[in-house]
Amino acid sequence: MDLLFLPLAPYLAWLAWTVLRHRIPLKYNWRSLWQRKVSTLSTAGAIAVVVAIFVVVLSLSQGLSRAFVRSGREDQVLVLRPNARVEINSSLERDRVRVIQSYPFLARDEQGPLASAECVVVKLLDLADGSGSTNVLFRGLQPAGVRMRSQVRLVEGRWFTPGLPELVVPRRMTDRFKDLRVGGRLRFQGLEWSVVGLFDGNGSAFDSEVWTDVEVLLQAHKRVSFSALLARLERPEQVPAFLAFLESDKRLKLEGKPEAAYYAEQTEAGKPIQILGQMITVILTVGAIFAAMNTLFAAVAVRTAEIGTLRALGYRRVEILASFQWEALMLCSLGGLLGAFLALGFHGIQTGTTNFETFSDVSFAFTVTPGLMGRGVAFSLLMGVLGGFPPAWRASRIPVTEAMKGG
Amino acid sequence: MDCEPIIRCQSVAKSYWRGSLEIPVLQGLDLEIPSGGYVALMGPSGSGKTTLLNLIAGIDRPTGGRLEVCGTHLNDLDDDDLAAWRATHVGFIFQNYNLVPVLTAYENVELPLLLANLSRRERRERVLEALERVDLLDRLENRPGQLSGGQEQRVAIARAIVTDPDLLVADEPTGALDAKNAEEVMALLENLNGEWGKTILLVTHDPKAAHHARVQIHLEKGVLDRTVEVNR
Repeated sequence: MDLLFLPLAPYLAWLAWTVLRHRIPLKYNWRSLWQRKVSTLSTAGAIAVVVAIFVVVLSLSQGLSRAFVRSGREDQVLVLRPNARVEINSSLERDRVRVIQSYPFLARDEQGPLASAECVVVKLLDLADGSGSTNVLFRGLQPAGVRMRSQVRLVEGRWFTPGLPELVVPRRMTDRFKDLRVGGRLRFQGLEWSVVGLFDGNGSAFDSEVWTDVEVLLQAHKRVSFSALLARLERPEQVPAFLAFLESDKRLKLEGKPEAAYYAEQTEAGKPIQILGQMITVILTVGAIFAAMNTLFAAVAVRTAEIGTLRALGYRRVEILASFQWEALMLCSLGGLLGAFLALGFHGIQTGTTNFETFSDVSFAFTVTPGLMGRGVAFSLLMGVLGGFPPAWRASRIPVTEAMKGG
Repeated sequence: MDCEPIIRCQSVAKSYWRGSLEIPVLQGLDLEIPSGGYVALMGPSGSGKTTLLNLIAGIDRPTGGRLEVCGTHLNDLDDDDLAAWRATHVGFIFQNYNLVPVLTAYENVELPLLLANLSRRERRERVLEALERVDLLDRLENRPGQLSGGQEQRVAIARAIVTDPDLLVADEPTGALDAKNAEEVMALLENLNGEWGKTILLVTHDPKAAHHARVQIHLEKGVLDRTVEVNR
């Protein structure tokens, strides 16, 4: 959409200039809009719906990218089997993990090096509303893994005890899934798992994962290999050297991805919703542009004598064009503002989608930012320009004598 | 008519086309109107008086002949120049007042001034002066819908004179008014001509209104029929 503004920029600049020259006053257009309240409000309403959908669709992608962007740190690297792309497709043997954990430039805290070998599996969990079940990602972590996710904070209960089938779940998932609450029990892989705590992932992708001890998860699945390893370097500048080490060391031959980049790639999960949303928006936009055009054509028809008078008084064709174009912009931006605020009603609502990389559910919240609302209003202005130009052009081309007679 | 002409028509013609059929409205009209004159254009419907008024006021173009008004050859002006010329030289008074309904009396009168390079204060002074001249200073904030027909026409006259134009054109200015208001409007026009020296070109069917003019020009089927000096 932003690209669409480029060819229109000179036209918009010219329109702004016409206001500065205060030729036909804008109050004339604003009051004229309210002369026909019903038609103005119904057109503004239609535009508001389109803009609201546009902003909501963007807020979905925004929420999803925010979830993934918040998940990664620049100084952390995710180690995977070559070409695995995602953790769930990867496997990492214990001897390789030991080599990596002895890398000299790993960051350390008081409890040891910050490197966590982890196991990732997908489980089918029942939805709380009884509408079926969906895949959820379970992550087994070493103790360092919890400490390395600084965005994750325990909000209720306690962390899992290593060696026990205990789960800690995101608070945001408790409403969507059955039994995901402190004290809840789940049965899978022949074990009964207790939910002992709730965490808040601050809108990150971890808000869509259930966490447990890595060793318990491996044993339950009769696996010996981990899925991946997360390592933190002392400084972000050391990341390239570490990546080279992973690839070149004969004992490893592994692939590393900076954690931030890895999660940025995951935002692809939102593509299907985004594409669907954009298709719906395009169809509705065409309708809204025609609604605006129709309203303005009607306004021109009703006010032909006024146009003739203005022309007789000395207003030029371009000034008539600018005046009616401004009227269209006012009408559409009114709808745009209304739509942007309607969309605000969706802000913070939790939803989920399937990450087609991992085939698991990703929870995230609609995130309506001031920037997105601004884009919604800008979108409505675009509708104003496109829908307003034909009637404005028509108004400017009516011969004065014909216009004086009222068309 | 010994003053310098403000309007000079030389073989002015105007035709309209209905498909391939040419309908001549004015046929080679020669006419001179002196500066400061007060002329009533009269004639039956279809005689071409409104067409002539539109040509002289620069809102329509002749299909033949030369037209010089206020020292400008209108044939030579393009659309934008003609608009700018109208804004400076012509004040319009219409039968149906043609006020913008969503603007107040003050804002309606201010409209032509927005085309001039004037400060807000200068505009205000001129608008108030024009409205004072038509005795409507107490109706500044009223919209046309809140005014009587006579008051609306007086606002329209204030709008026509606010730019201090050389020429006032009035197309049936009393056509929509009752006798009392019509008489008031005609007295106002007479005053603008007599005291302020404005050249007035009036199109009317009404002999009473035409009687206020100093000269009556009668048109018949697009040609000048006769010119009558009014004795008052």
